[in-house]
Amino acid sequence: MSIDCEDQELLEGFLAETTELLEKLDDDLISLEKSPEDAELMNRIFRSIHTVKGASSFLGFDMLVKVTHKTEDVLNRLRKSELSLNSEIMDVILEAVDLVKTLVSDIKGGDIVERDLEDTISKLIPYLSEGAVEATVLAPVFAPKEETPPVPPPAPDPQEPAGAAPASAPPEAVAAAESAAAPKPAPPVAQPKPQPVKEPAKAAAKGDELADNSTVRVDVKRLDDLMNQVGELVLERNRMIQLHSDYQTGLDPTGFGDDFGKLSKRLNFVTSELQMQVLKMRMLPVEKVFKKFPRIVRNLARDLGKEVDLVIYGEETELDRSVVDEIGDPLIHLIRNALDHGLETPDQRLAAGKEPTGTVVLSAAHEGNQIVISIKDDGRGIDPERVSKKAIEKGLITEEQLASMGSREILDLLFLPGFSTKEQATDLSGRGVGMDVVRTNIRKLNGIIEIKNDIGRGSEFILKLPLTLAIIQSLLVEVEREVYSIPLASVIETMRVSKKEFHMIGGQEVLKLRDSVLPLLRLQHTFGCQEVYSERDTCYVVIVGVAEKRIGLIVTRLLGQQEVAIKSLGKFLSNLPGIGGSTIMGDGRVALIVDPIGLIGGAA
Amino acid sequence: METALTKVKSEEYGGELIQLVSFNLEKEEYGINVLMVREIIRMLNITRVPNTPHYVEGVINLRGKVIPIISLRRKFDLMEAEYDKRTRIMVMEVVGELMGFIVDEVSEVIRISEKEIQPPPPVVSSGIEQECMAGVINQADRLLVLLDLERMFSADERRLFSNVA
Repeated sequence: MSIDCEDQELLEGFLAETTELLEKLDDDLISLEKSPEDAELMNRIFRSIHTVKGASSFLGFDMLVKVTHKTEDVLNRLRKSELSLNSEIMDVILEAVDLVKTLVSDIKGGDIVERDLEDTISKLIPYLSEGAVEATVLAPVFAPKEETPPVPPPAPDPQEPAGAAPASAPPEAVAAAESAAAPKPAPPVAQPKPQPVKEPAKAAAKGDELADNSTVRVDVKRLDDLMNQVGELVLERNRMIQLHSDYQTGLDPTGFGDDFGKLSKRLNFVTSELQMQVLKMRMLPVEKVFKKFPRIVRNLARDLGKEVDLVIYGEETELDRSVVDEIGDPLIHLIRNALDHGLETPDQRLAAGKEPTGTVVLSAAHEGNQIVISIKDDGRGIDPERVSKKAIEKGLITEEQLASMGSREILDLLFLPGFSTKEQATDLSGRGVGMDVVRTNIRKLNGIIEIKNDIGRGSEFILKLPLTLAIIQSLLVEVEREVYSIPLASVIETMRVSKKEFHMIGGQEVLKLRDSVLPLLRLQHTFGCQEVYSERDTCYVVIVGVAEKRIGLIVTRLLGQQEVAIKSLGKFLSNLPGIGGSTIMGDGRVALIVDPIGLIGGAA
Repeated sequence: METALTKVKSEEYGGELIQLVSFNLEKEEYGINVLMVREIIRMLNITRVPNTPHYVEGVINLRGKVIPIISLRRKFDLMEAEYDKRTRIMVMEVVGELMGFIVDEVSEVIRISEKEIQPPPPVVSSGIEQECMAGVINQADRLLVLLDLERMFSADERRLFSNVA
């Protein structure tokens, strides 16, 4: 059944507004559970759901109206203190909100699917004073559905797949879930659950899309500023044309150099302003991602029987929307791990002389041209011995390989696909996918992962990500007369070394760097450049890091640092190993951007 | 106007009229549908791209867009030649992507009737892959090979591009 909505614009407005309200709602509900006395918060929640109800009844989305109406009733009773909030009521309300999200994403998808509302609504009804009456009144409404077998426990708590779908390998999983027309339930929810499973799984995948960022809301002031800057730019262009024609007609050619100098300075100023403005418009507060975590933590903590305090800092930190879109999944996995593997149960914590309630700190901050996100728990930390034992048991590494590993390398084993310290895979973890997802996504963003580990006292995962993906700071290097650009976000350090300092270990050139051994890669070989400088015996090594790995790139010369705009190489050349894109230099020539991920992948 | 013209002519020849851009490669004349050609530019600095098929010369900056450049000589296994002042890059849209093709010289735009296009001769001993020849045009004083670049970058070729990875 497709949506017959006469006014597409109206519908779009409705979807944008509702999506925004629903996003906020989740967050507010969790806060409400912590501080049930907050009347202001209560009212805000009530208003949100009321707005959604009003708008949907106006547009004639009956199913939405039904659900929101009942939810509103329950909320109203809470507001009037006729009911007191407990976690059961909260569960039901959250479930109802999830259902609303599902319905909204159906509308967004352009297809209204008949969904089973009764199950959720019937749970809401007991919380209404005139519950019994309502139930009988409602019964006829759903009469045709009465036969559906007493629907299994609220399908898999809608929240569950929402987290689980991205859990096990997001792109494929979501794709799989989306093509839920396929007879089998999507892999993430592989347990033999009754039929209705398919629907929520699909809903979950769609629910994720619901939060997609296809439209932007921009502060009018920012837009005005932008317009202003563009006006300036046009002005400078006119001056330039004028200057040129003056010069050509031979009018005062002596002053040309001066005038041109001034002009280029102003142009430089205007364009960098413009660049900043546009960049700012693409920025989103990281709150967009962070705000779904309180709820995830709440549910997880309950499922695991642990007491957890989630502390969030720096949610106002802004970063590019492209980055915001990508960090959600890795963060979910890291938080899951912190709760599941990191934190102990209250008993264990007491035995270890800690507070029974564990703390997970999620923080974001700017650090130079990067954003640093850290997930820190005060749990048991990571036991390197256990990690290495498991890795050998699972056949991921050999004893010899282990012998040559430092403590850093051992922690890096966590990221291997298939690695898990769990004996048995559960709903939550143990399939050995999560950390691989983290690594893949962080790599995609040219980010770096660091692990700080304090056995017995907790662990910290630090993600360092570039602020934006469109314009990057880069290090320009020369490889046998060809210019390449290396994203500065991945560069850890550069050094000038003599070729004598290189060693060979098992066919791999390495460099002893302080206390670690760094594998080296000759860009000249990788990129097949013609050798022009054969008798030089010193060269430069650029040490780059990708996620948890480090590698040294041998280049001929360092040319300097420059801000470059990334240009795609197009469909045909998109899959080149070690090349991530291209950029246009000051002289109009194209320089290729090195993709450290591809290089490291190839070298490993 | 264009359509009116086409109509009259087509009645005359009894077939659709098409316009071709003709260019030279190793003294042979080739034609390509004018609708495919976005622009024709002079040679400029090409940045080599590593690990690509041999016929990919590299990439250029076309007013802020980076597009791949293909040497048709190498693509057709012809002798390499020095670039001179008549060398041109024909920028075309192939399967939705802009690409540049280096040719020896671009000569003119000609109109022909579809009826004049003959199927390619069964045996082609030159390096030009049979599949990207859409046909030949045999006029009194000239022989044109009509190319279909879409077909040149058919599924096979695109796989090749990405397989390099």
